[in-house]
Formats: sequence, C-alpha cells, structure tokens
Amino acid sequence: MANAFVASFEILSFGAIIVLVVLGLGIIASMMGIFNFAQGEFVLLGAYVTYLAYSKGLPVWVGMLAAPFLVGALGFVLEALIIRRFYAAPIVAMLGTYALGLIIRECVRGLIGGLYISVPEPIGGSIDFGAVHISAWRSTIIAVTGVVMAGCYLLLSRTSFGLRVRATLENPALARASGISTSAIYGAAFAFGAALAGLAGALIVPVFSLFADLGIRFLIQGFVAVMVGGVGSFIGPVAGAGVIGTLSAALPWVMAPVVADVLVFVLAIAFIKFRPQGLISGKGV
Amino acid sequence: MSIERTHQTRRRFLSNFAFASGAIATGLGSWVIRPDWANAAEPPIKVGIATDLTGPIGYAGNADANVAKMVIKEINAGGGLLGRPLELYIEDTASNESVAVGNVRKLIQRDKVDMVLGGITSSMRNAIKDPIVVRGKTLYIYPQLYEGKECTPYLFCTGPTPAQQCDEFIPWLIKNGGKKFALPSANYVWPHLLNEYARKVIESNGGEVVFEEYYPLDQIDFSATVNRIMTNKVEVVFNTVIPPGVGPFFKQLYEAGFQKNGGRLSCVYYDENTLNINQANEIEGLASCLDYFKVLTRDDPVSAKIQSAYDKDFPGNFLFAAGSAATGTYRGLKLWEAAVKEAGKVDREAVAAALDHAKIAEGPGGPAEMVPGKRHCKMKMYTAVAKGGNYEIVGRSDGLVDPKEC
Repeated sequence: MANAFVASFEILSFGAIIVLVVLGLGIIASMMGIFNFAQGEFVLLGAYVTYLAYSKGLPVWVGMLAAPFLVGALGFVLEALIIRRFYAAPIVAMLGTYALGLIIRECVRGLIGGLYISVPEPIGGSIDFGAVHISAWRSTIIAVTGVVMAGCYLLLSRTSFGLRVRATLENPALARASGISTSAIYGAAFAFGAALAGLAGALIVPVFSLFADLGIRFLIQGFVAVMVGGVGSFIGPVAGAGVIGTLSAALPWVMAPVVADVLVFVLAIAFIKFRPQGLISGKGV
Repeated sequence: MSIERTHQTRRRFLSNFAFASGAIATGLGSWVIRPDWANAAEPPIKVGIATDLTGPIGYAGNADANVAKMVIKEINAGGGLLGRPLELYIEDTASNESVAVGNVRKLIQRDKVDMVLGGITSSMRNAIKDPIVVRGKTLYIYPQLYEGKECTPYLFCTGPTPAQQCDEFIPWLIKNGGKKFALPSANYVWPHLLNEYARKVIESNGGEVVFEEYYPLDQIDFSATVNRIMTNKVEVVFNTVIPPGVGPFFKQLYEAGFQKNGGRLSCVYYDENTLNINQANEIEGLASCLDYFKVLTRDDPVSAKIQSAYDKDFPGNFLFAAGSAATGTYRGLKLWEAAVKEAGKVDREAVAAALDHAKIAEGPGGPAEMVPGKRHCKMKMYTAVAKGGNYEIVGRSDGLVDPKEC
C-alpha cells in the first residue's frame, strides 16, 4: 500500500514535470505551426536565471519569479527579430530555432564552465507519512503545474484575448479580416510559450541541478508528447505530455530501465501510426 | 529540370556544409606553447596533449591541459629535458571521437610530437589509441581512472584501476555500511566492467549484491530505483550512475530517507568537482576512493606544493581533481620525464623501455611507480567521506596499491 502510494506520487510528479516543460512547446507548435527547437534552451535559461539570482545572494524564489518574465521578454524579442521572418517556411524556421538553441546552450555552458551546479529548493526536505517520505518540492511542482494548466485553460477559453488567440489559430486570414492583429498575437503567443518554459526551468532546476544540456534532455520527450497529443489545440500537447511523462516514469518500475527508455518511443511511434492526428485533434481549446 | 537544379543546389549546399564543418572541426582548437629559451644544437622535445577542452566534460579536459602547462613550465624552468626545452602542443578532442581522431592525427603527422597524453573517457581512448600507437608509432599515456583491461603495447595508464578503487574500499564499506549492496549504473563500458570486479570483491568479503541495474545515460528520474533500494533494505549503494543522472538520483535517495535509515552512499569517481552537483546535506556521508583528495594538502607537503602551484596559475572553475584525470596527467608527465632522463633520448622504443619501470618519489597523493611489464601504475589510494561539503580522509592504503592489470 505504502509502496503503491510512493509509486503513484513519483510517477505523477515526473508526469507533472513533463507537462510543465511541454506546455510552452505545445502552445507555440499549435498556435504558430512551428516546432520550436530552442524551447529546451528557454527551459535552460529559466534555470540559469534562478541560479544567477541564487548565486548573487537573493532568495531562490526571487529568481523563480523573475525567470518566466525575463525568458518571456527574450522570447518576445527573438520572435520580433528572427522567428517572424520564417513563418512562410516552417522547416527553415525549425532550423533557425535550432541554431538559436545551440547559441543559447553553448553561451550558458561557457558561463557555468561546463559544470553541474546545485540550486537549493525554496521548500526543501520531505513530507513524512510514517515510513513513507515524499519530496516537498516535487509536491510543490505538482501543485504549480495544476495551477498553471488551469490558468492557461481559463485564459484561452474564457477571456476575449483567448478568443482572439483561438481565432488566429483557427483561421489567420479571417482573423486579420476581422481586425485582429495576428502578428501581435503571434508575438504574444511566442513570448508566452517562452515564459512557460522559463517557469518550467526555474521550477525543475532544484530537482535536476543546473547543467548546459538540461533543456535538450527534455526536447525529444517534448516533441514526442506534442505528436502523441496532437497539434492544433491547447489540451492536445498537455494530454500527450501527461501520457509520455507517466509512461517514462512508470515503465522502469516494471521492467529493465534500458528497455523502458526505448519502449516509450516505440509505443509512441506505433500510436502515431494508427492515430496520426494525435489523442485530441485540434478540437476545443 | 527544376528537380535537377534543386539536387544540384542541395549537393552544393551539402559539400559547402561539409567543408565548413570540416574547417570548424580541424582549424580551431590547436594551441602551441613554446618554451622561452632554445637549445642551439637540438630542436625542442614535443609533448602532445589531446583532451576534451570543449563539450560536456570540458571542465576536466581544461584542468588536464592546465596541469600539462604547469608541469611543462616547471620542467623548462629547471633546464628542460636532456638539455632540450619542451614544447607543448594541445589539441581539443571536443568530447567527439571523430573530431578527436582528426585532431590527434594533426599532433602525429603535422606536429610530429614525441609523446601524446590525453583522452578522458574510455570511448575516447579507444578512438585515439590506434592513430597514436599503431599508425602513428608514438607513445601514448592515458591518465584517467577507468575499467581496466587496456593492454595495448606503448599505451601506459596512470590513473586508478578497479582493483585500486575496490580492494581496500569495499571491505571498508562493508565495515562502515553493511553487507547488502546495490549497484545502480549507467549503461556503458566503465560501470559494466567495474561492477564485474566490485561484485567479486563484495562476495569474497561476505557481502551480497541485492541488484545490479543499468540505466540509459541520460535518465534523470530514479524513483523506481530508489524504491527498490528502500524496499530491499539495501545498506550500501555503490553508484556508477554519471551526470546528469547522478544529481537527481542522490537527491531522490536523500528524500526517501536512505541515509537517515543508516544507508551508506558510495561512488568511486566522486571528487571535488562532483561535490557541487548536490547540496552538501544530500550527500553527507558519501564515500569515495581515489588517488588524491584536496584535503590531503593539510598533512602532505608535496601535495600541498603541487596544489598551491596549480591554484596560483589557474584560479577558477577548473579544479585540480582526481576524477578529472588531473592527477593522472601530472603523474603521467612526471613518469615520462623520468623515463626520458633514463633513456637519454626520446625515441619510442627507448622511452617505453624506461617508462616500463619508471618511478617518481613525489606526486599528488604520494609516490608512484609503473609495474614492470604491465604498463599500469602503482599508487597510494585514499578513502574519503563527504562531510559538510568537504572530504575527510578516513582510510589510506599502507603502501602503493597494485593495479592488477595485464
């Protein structure tokens, strides 16, 4: 019983981490039809901002609060300067974002000297239920993921801004004809996606420590999650992330980890083969 | 027609791309450090260093290059070798075997170095040993702790082997931890072969391996592993999971209360660099066994002298640490120096014959000597335990420990 509880908590917490990382990626992919290869590096930048605040003697949570805003602002600038020029050619855009990611990653590697650096969590230690210990910070991440997901959902489904975003997503030409500035919406969406990645990075850095390849670690899983979930909606990638995160945390409990690692991708490929539109195909929010 | 044209541009693009990447791969990353004096009669002796200056283990490669600069400078200041100054050629192996082979060929064919020292990972050693030793007909010294079984002629290993890291360490772990071991490991050659040896030592000392399990190199969630460790009441975790996984793994172990329940964490590549991956309280009590720890400078004047010379020349991020192969690099260069002095010349046969039984009285952590016919190095080994973000020495080998290789 205690064992099952620990297992489900750990699986849930890793699922939440993947959802958090994929959220921004999914929004950008769904909104703009661009697979942002720099998304992992936005996660890395969020982590780096948190570390920077900590190393300057500020409390860690200050860095965590600042990270989404700083990374979002950077995303906004990058969209206006670079990404915007590639909307007509999604493949080129993908390569462009890959280059951006590479530049950011190697800059951070230089700045931290290629080392692995620990950043303490603002809420450390573990919560004890008798003999069972669960990590306080992972619990916090689960809670924050829930709040962020609910917030995003409400923003997209209940506000007039959300309506305009969805209109732009559904039919950009008609949206423009109706007086919606689609380029402003694109800019905002990219910045928002980047900000979510920044937040994800800030929250996960105490768990995984800071290193230059932190973001790229999640990139492949993120893409698979978006493919499985289905491009074109907000819910799709989130659902995909939930599935992939849960699978990759759950399978090692029942089989050799090396096999589990491969099996997640095999299952995903098989799934996409039989349901290419993904779990939830562009309907609803 | 249009299809043909796109083909042509693609081909041109690819060839340009290949050229550009080739230029990037071979043009950059070479450094020559010339001595500040010369011998009129004879040219300088050329020392080649091939190490990972860039890439994920750049921190280790840079430390090794720094050690080489320090040692060569010292030898030159003392009048060089055989009256000739030393010239240092540093090439980047970039944590990428195909780049490395090209750069090592430059050392051999263009610069015609008399000896190559370097490589950190085993895959790197395996990639560059053939270009150096067989086709390059040059002496090769490999400085890193590794899984053993490297018995190529003209290839000398100056880092610790599994025997050196296990023979004294595992009995200590059984005494100061318990008999039930878990061997969680990254899935590549070093953990596989080290575990094979460690298992033998554990079982011959009355211990028991509860499980031995391998993980993908980039796995970062270890909840299933931690759970197995906790439910099986494992007493000693003998870890060979590497970064980036090791940080989250140790954190999850700590949060599950492994140490609180009296468990002993151990990891034989843990040095001063890796201490920073986790917060100090998460790895309190972690035991490691290496040929050098910085804390030795307190009671060993030779180590203190080497450490302070390094820190003076190279303050910053690249630490003089055993897990980075920095101590193996120092030892390798000094043993080679002794061999060249004895041989009286720099040709490969003569130096290899002398290096076969070379000795140094002073090195980081103590003296060292090659085991004749084995091309591996006897050295002192230390067991240390992490306490509050530093190490504390809890055990020292009586004399020099035999590598038991080849």
